[in-house]
Amino acid sequence: MSLFGYAGHVLRVDLSSGANSRERTDPALVRECIGGRGLNSRRLYEELPRDADPLGPENMLLLGVGPLTGSTLNSAAYTTVSGRSPMTGILGDSAAGGFLGPEIKAAGYDQIVITGKAPKLSILVIADDHVEIRDAQHLRGLDIWQTQDAVRRELSDNAVQVAAIGPAGENLVKYATVACNNNRMFGRTGMGCLFGSKNLKAIAVRGTGAVSIADPLAFMKECDEVERLIMAHPEYDKRNHLGSTLLMKALNGLGILPTRHFQEGVCDWVDEVSGERLAEHMKVKHKSCFNCPIHCSRYYVTDEVEAEGPEFETLCSYTSRIGARDLGFALKMNAYLNRMGVDSLSSGETIGWAMECVQRGIYTADDFDGLDFSWGNTETVEKVLHMMIHREGIGDLFAEGTRALAQTMAQRSGRSGERYALHVKGLDIICGDPRGIKAFGLTYAIASRGADHLRAEPFFELTERYDEAENRFGTRDAADRLSNNGKAQLVEYSERQALLTDCLTMCKNIGLSMDVIDFPAAARLLTAGTGMSWTEEQVTTALRTVINSERLLNIDFGMGPEDDTLPERFTIDALPEGPSSGQTVPVTDMVRDYYRLRGWNEDGIPPGLSGEKS
Amino acid sequence: MIRVDPAKCSGCRSCEIACSFAHSGRVGRGLARIKVVKMEGEGLDVPIVCQQCAERPCLKCPEGALSLGPQGQVVVSPTLCTACGACEKLCPTGSIEICEDIPRVCDLCGGDPRCVKKCSMGAISYEPGGGGASQAAHRKEAKGLNPEGRRVAHAMRTTRELRSGWLAKRTKTEDGS
Repeated sequence: MSLFGYAGHVLRVDLSSGANSRERTDPALVRECIGGRGLNSRRLYEELPRDADPLGPENMLLLGVGPLTGSTLNSAAYTTVSGRSPMTGILGDSAAGGFLGPEIKAAGYDQIVITGKAPKLSILVIADDHVEIRDAQHLRGLDIWQTQDAVRRELSDNAVQVAAIGPAGENLVKYATVACNNNRMFGRTGMGCLFGSKNLKAIAVRGTGAVSIADPLAFMKECDEVERLIMAHPEYDKRNHLGSTLLMKALNGLGILPTRHFQEGVCDWVDEVSGERLAEHMKVKHKSCFNCPIHCSRYYVTDEVEAEGPEFETLCSYTSRIGARDLGFALKMNAYLNRMGVDSLSSGETIGWAMECVQRGIYTADDFDGLDFSWGNTETVEKVLHMMIHREGIGDLFAEGTRALAQTMAQRSGRSGERYALHVKGLDIICGDPRGIKAFGLTYAIASRGADHLRAEPFFELTERYDEAENRFGTRDAADRLSNNGKAQLVEYSERQALLTDCLTMCKNIGLSMDVIDFPAAARLLTAGTGMSWTEEQVTTALRTVINSERLLNIDFGMGPEDDTLPERFTIDALPEGPSSGQTVPVTDMVRDYYRLRGWNEDGIPPGLSGEKS
Repeated sequence: MIRVDPAKCSGCRSCEIACSFAHSGRVGRGLARIKVVKMEGEGLDVPIVCQQCAERPCLKCPEGALSLGPQGQVVVSPTLCTACGACEKLCPTGSIEICEDIPRVCDLCGGDPRCVKKCSMGAISYEPGGGGASQAAHRKEAKGLNPEGRRVAHAMRTTRELRSGWLAKRTKTEDGS
């Protein structure tokens, strides 16, 4: 059977031997996992040895795209990079937009499966069916922007798409990132560290093929409807103008903007560091990902740096979350972290944690090589970032991530700040205080890659669509951010919708937050796109299968129900003031309800891949 | 011709996609007759498309396969064209490129360009009767470059002022805030 939509091949590369091979994309397999993150997670479930050392050659590094990547479907541009996370030890993956995904498709691949470890620092060059592992020792130490430039120059082609790591990835910083298009980050779970562990400095891709659609007229009709929904969306103008940076003021208004490491939810200097201020003073132009009508990103120029971004998570991580009030500093850090290849959330959490520990008197400057971790001390922030990226002094511990940092510091000193290490399963909490958005709290607790909003992003609870809440989730409370009712239902639904967005390789802002893609529409898009017949039920079954595979994989990695929780900061300490004052998250009850809705037993164990129900 | 305003372009490549799909029912950069050059290091994105230049070097096709249509667009005869690549080499801006044995060059969609309709930034517009600017000065520079290289060179040339404007504004912001 010939597949439309899909590129049709999977590329396997063994970096140890240098061998590569191509195999046909298996129609029976994609029926069960669609593509993108689904295809990656399924591949890990089927093939990854469960005892694989995350930094060992036996770990797998996958780049997955989907059947509609690079098509006329708005924002279908994402690539998912997956493997066993060096940071958390469980499932690791991270997706980014930009322009890499469509190029992988154009080169003829639905997935790139990398195993082994190159004997020396290398780049993987893929030009259609030409696959080559090249020496990259001359690129050692170059930052991400320099690497992309050097690779394009070496290949004499500005249109080559490059996924690269910076010094942090080379130095195996556990939360190192991979970037494409300089500033589009595969940020979470340390996929850059995984690149580094395989001696892989970059992947360069150039494709001359095209995406073929089974039924172009029917497909266009569906794409036009998606675009119409986006353009007519009440949030279109604001998202187009500010992108995710709109959340600085929005979350502050709800009293859930992480301030001084989640000790407060209201930042009284938010206007100095808001997305609005950035747009007015530093932004010179809109930027966007492949085929997206929301030009939500921005290019900015300041007296010190220029770069694309930052997204909200970076902006918040380097302003209110660490008690800093200098927008120019945050923009400088955005450019620096993008160049070096470091996750802004995880690095920001290590710093915020250290600052809170110092405030509480658990540690002093003496415990941190003399660095003064007072709130908002930007000089210390710059110093410790440099030390963590190059693994110098105390920076070597910071490079291990907050969980390991807090454990090691406690062991060394006999004084523990572990209660204030804000992570789930080793992945640091994102910038959104769950005490005022209960469904997000549940999402962080159960997300299959650790504390993360993008696994379900139940943005719906912020939309005040009460009638729709009753329709979908059986209670109007699901649209009330402070209510606990209906939140397990909301998260169960949104988790599937988030995975669907990942499988279609669309942007979560569009597919999920703006609620543009539902399951029937996905079935129609997939049918017209691939020529396979997809029903809503088949789409839903595939999504449930992938969610269960990820769960089973994590159980094999040693994860248990006790890991589906939140730090005490969110379950015991109430928010002190503002519109979410007095709130905590009753996470145990919510997780129990969620298991039940998923069809898992009380220990969170799914029935297994075959014979699953509901 | 299609007028391009790089100050407004966000680099999403929707124009490319619309062009490719309208002309072939498939989506691929090679099939598009407008291609966005992205220079991430400078923050620049520039759609490159036939500017209907004064010289029209592409018309020196050895097979006589290229001619001008009523809107000044280049028309390629599928029966005369042998895909020899002369037009691709003659265009100083990289606006003609052979893909799957067909020279891909903007045909203005018969006067209703799909790329212009698709652009949600207003970065490209259709200007009937426009064009005529000379590209002769850049022919020497274009020699030895492949079409992508020529597009990059053209993109750099046409955005110098835009970049220096950004840098000037930067100084002002610093003083003013």
